[in-house]
Amino acid sequence: MKVKLFLFAFAAIASLFGISASAQSIAITNAKIVTVSGETIEKGTVVIRDGLIESVGANAKIPADAQTIDATGMTVYPGFIDALTSLGLQAPATPAPTGGGRGGGGAAAAAAAATAQAPASNSNYALGLRPELTASEDIRAGESQFDANRNAGFTTVLSVGRTGIFNGQSVLIDLAGDSVSEMVVKSPVAEHISFATIPGQYPGSLLGTFSALRQMLLDAQRQQQLLKMYAANPKGMRRPEADKSLDALIPVLNREVPVVFNANTEREIIRAVDLAKEFNLKAMVAGGQEAWKVADRLKGADMAVLLSLNLPKRTTATSPEADPESLEVLRFRAEAPKCAAKLAAAGVKFAFQSGGATAIGDFFTNAGKVVEGGLGKDAAVRAMTLGSAEILGVGDRLGSIEAGKIANLAVVKGDVFARERFVPYIIIDGKLFEQKEPPKTEGRPGGGRRGGQGGGGETPAAVPNIGGSYSITIQIPDSALSSTLNLTQSGGMLTGTMVSELGTSQIRDGHVTADGFSFSASVQYGGTAIDITVKGSVNGNQISGTIDSPQGQVPFAGTKNP
Amino acid sequence: MKKITAYFVLLLLVLGNARLPALAQVKSEVLIKNGTVLTASHGTLEGTDILIRDGKIAKIGKNLTASAGAQTIDATGKFVSPGIIDCHSHLMLDAINEGSLSVTSMTRVRDVLNTTDIGIYRALAGGATTANLLHGSANSIGGQNAVVKFKWGKPVEDFLVKDAPPGIKFALGENPRGTNFSQPGRPQRYPHTRQGVMETDRDAFLRARDYKRAWDDFKAGKTKIPPRRDLELEPLVEVIEGERLVHAHGYRSDEHLNLMLLADEFGFRVATLQHGLEAYKIAPEIAKHGTGVSIFAEYWGYKLEAYDAIPYNAYILWKNGVIVSINSDDDGRIRRLNEEAAKVMKYGGVPEEDALRMVTLNPAKQLGIDKRTGSIDVGKDADLVIWNGHPFSIYSRVETTMIEGETYFDRTKDIQNRAAMQKEREELEKLDINKGPATGGAPPRIPTEKVKSDTDDAENGDGGNR
Repeated sequence: MKVKLFLFAFAAIASLFGISASAQSIAITNAKIVTVSGETIEKGTVVIRDGLIESVGANAKIPADAQTIDATGMTVYPGFIDALTSLGLQAPATPAPTGGGRGGGGAAAAAAAATAQAPASNSNYALGLRPELTASEDIRAGESQFDANRNAGFTTVLSVGRTGIFNGQSVLIDLAGDSVSEMVVKSPVAEHISFATIPGQYPGSLLGTFSALRQMLLDAQRQQQLLKMYAANPKGMRRPEADKSLDALIPVLNREVPVVFNANTEREIIRAVDLAKEFNLKAMVAGGQEAWKVADRLKGADMAVLLSLNLPKRTTATSPEADPESLEVLRFRAEAPKCAAKLAAAGVKFAFQSGGATAIGDFFTNAGKVVEGGLGKDAAVRAMTLGSAEILGVGDRLGSIEAGKIANLAVVKGDVFARERFVPYIIIDGKLFEQKEPPKTEGRPGGGRRGGQGGGGETPAAVPNIGGSYSITIQIPDSALSSTLNLTQSGGMLTGTMVSELGTSQIRDGHVTADGFSFSASVQYGGTAIDITVKGSVNGNQISGTIDSPQGQVPFAGTKNP
Repeated sequence: MKKITAYFVLLLLVLGNARLPALAQVKSEVLIKNGTVLTASHGTLEGTDILIRDGKIAKIGKNLTASAGAQTIDATGKFVSPGIIDCHSHLMLDAINEGSLSVTSMTRVRDVLNTTDIGIYRALAGGATTANLLHGSANSIGGQNAVVKFKWGKPVEDFLVKDAPPGIKFALGENPRGTNFSQPGRPQRYPHTRQGVMETDRDAFLRARDYKRAWDDFKAGKTKIPPRRDLELEPLVEVIEGERLVHAHGYRSDEHLNLMLLADEFGFRVATLQHGLEAYKIAPEIAKHGTGVSIFAEYWGYKLEAYDAIPYNAYILWKNGVIVSINSDDDGRIRRLNEEAAKVMKYGGVPEEDALRMVTLNPAKQLGIDKRTGSIDVGKDADLVIWNGHPFSIYSRVETTMIEGETYFDRTKDIQNRAAMQKEREELEKLDINKGPATGGAPPRIPTEKVKSDTDDAENGDGGNR
């Protein structure tokens, strides 16, 4: 049955990608082996058994039972690690519309809306301030979701959500295995913190974010103190209140679980360093594209950087009407690829991460730009293998090609930093994944390709024409906001504006399909830009749908203007 | 040959050792020659030199000499004033209002400082050296302030005036009542009336008093369990104990009086009434309470509670012995506070030196930093501005702004740097990463005619609650 399935998958034309049932052992022969931990072997063999690397060397013995992969002309690397993603996580729960709450008491309606957004929890803290949330709880089972990342060469990723001030506790997963239990390498790895806000309630500004964090850490210190006092002698003392949010911070305060601060700019990083120092936290920063400016502080605080390879580039169109970009912005883009080299020179540890980039193939080409920016190739490889593993606390089991370590390997054809790079074989926990090289005419080898999933119904259905002007009413809790949508359609693309008392917003990423339309926009609200996502459909002259924002989801409806 | 080398090494060592301290000394000495010195404390001194050593004013007098190699600035025909101090600014802040709660004393402006705000450099170009960076006025009790010197290019720690007494923002009237920023989708926040604002303040101080008692009892061994540290109440305890200055935004005189009564009730003194456009109505009461007033010179009518103002406000307060400062509350106005001070000479006729004090020594007193800055006196920080004419002339401009003897704005250098910056820009714009996408791309932001209001009224970006 297993074999049949395998053959079927292999035969499927849509699939460039096959899964081998794990043989007793695998031997990769005639390969250049970049062990990372030791010398590179120009031509040698790696032997894998029971999910572990059994032996490696120029003359390693090939077992009789081994499935042999001839990797002549190819290079074997330790499986690449993406040190920060949200891979495998459920999309954040979209709150149900508050349904019929209109006309109620203002505060009550808003509170109801807030609780409707929040998943059920016994925490004493608002959603966004719940350090007890763990990514491993939210990882979906099944390895096919990771096809694109695996095909690009990744075997292992750190995963955590991106919402809230406390993003929660991250999990390190291998990109193979049908159950979550099989995937997890380490959990929790770290507690992740964003200098974010909770719109509509405290903390609603960066000012409040810091005071809320500080107060929670102080409260957790006290919680630990009281728990100790109570454990020593409960008689005559009221029992400390159970508080799972504060309890989750105790290992953080005790430096048992490190903290990762999402901090990209110089001043965000300084704030992270200061907060870590204030509470003696074991900390690192993620993002870090201006980390080179504060390398001495990071070094002094012994903080590593999960450095984003989502290198900045200009995405706005040029226009003679627009103001020129500031020198600060122009410099930022020019300096970002040189950051890693400067961190290396200053002795700051760093690991590469994809930084939320959608085209995963860019990870390696951008790593190439970082090499052009002055970082040694070996150091660049290290920053996505052993260097990452060490920073994430798994250097003893991952990140290099050594006997006894987890058999996570990437067999690469071509220069690992080049766009033409191709990864025919990936081995994760000893399990072989094979990828057939696509015909040369097809673009973007190795990057962003989805594995075949039965591949039915790819022909696009007829796209309705929905261009025009619409008057809509957005049902914000306890009030209604009028807005005009001016939509221009070109094929499946949608452009235009959204006009309301909050100002005029340009529509971004607009799409029309047979099922409806969607776009994003930024709305100026209370002095800050709020990103919204609009989804809806047009039926005759009726338009309706939902708007998602950090505050939650609200419905809208309206009619086409004649 | 060997001998000669050895000799040179020896010479180098001797010279090196001998010269190092000398060099260090020279580096920290600046002599400003032959200027018209507006001291702001003891009158105007013609043809006078100022010797600066280690960032402090070492000597003021005629024909002073400095060590060899000291930086010398010829101020012949020029005016030297103390650095301008702004008692109410929101420069450098990545967030101004934590508007979610009515009491946000736990927030700290210090946490959100942006040392790369170009407004800092512009303020320096207008002669401003020091500012009281305040939380906004959305709440009855706002956040903790930061008193900074504009040390452009330095790390954030260097900006803070370390021995400045800590402060906190309070607010009265329309802003904390919330009428200025009712936002769609948000419930109206308590308090909604002026009496509600006072109740919120009183409630907070009563809680702070209880909090202090709880800690006192614990420290005295009367209780076993340590109280919870409360970051909201700690700064209010400091206010009650006179260790933290209250800077209270407000417009109406009845509210000012109420706040001063509340302060009497809890045993502290309000440090400054910010804005205080009606303060002239209660000048004697303010003087009696020992409170400073920090105002606009002649600017009002931008909201209902800002109507009953007169340009003679500063004069009347000054006449009654109140310490008055003229503030900017605005990243634009902070660049020309010298002109604002000049206006109080016109309305009522405040004498020149007293007018200058309203943007130098008086705000220093209000912020508790007058021991180190605010006037040109021996022993004070060399926070100085060299003007090409009298600072009260609109035709004058700043040539040099220095803080603690170090130059942070130099007009000549600024002009010289522009060509280099233009060249750098051209080089950077040639890079692919700085070019727009070949096709498509997000639409650029096209400037519109809408001008951001420079008042703290409802037109402002954050709902006008600064």
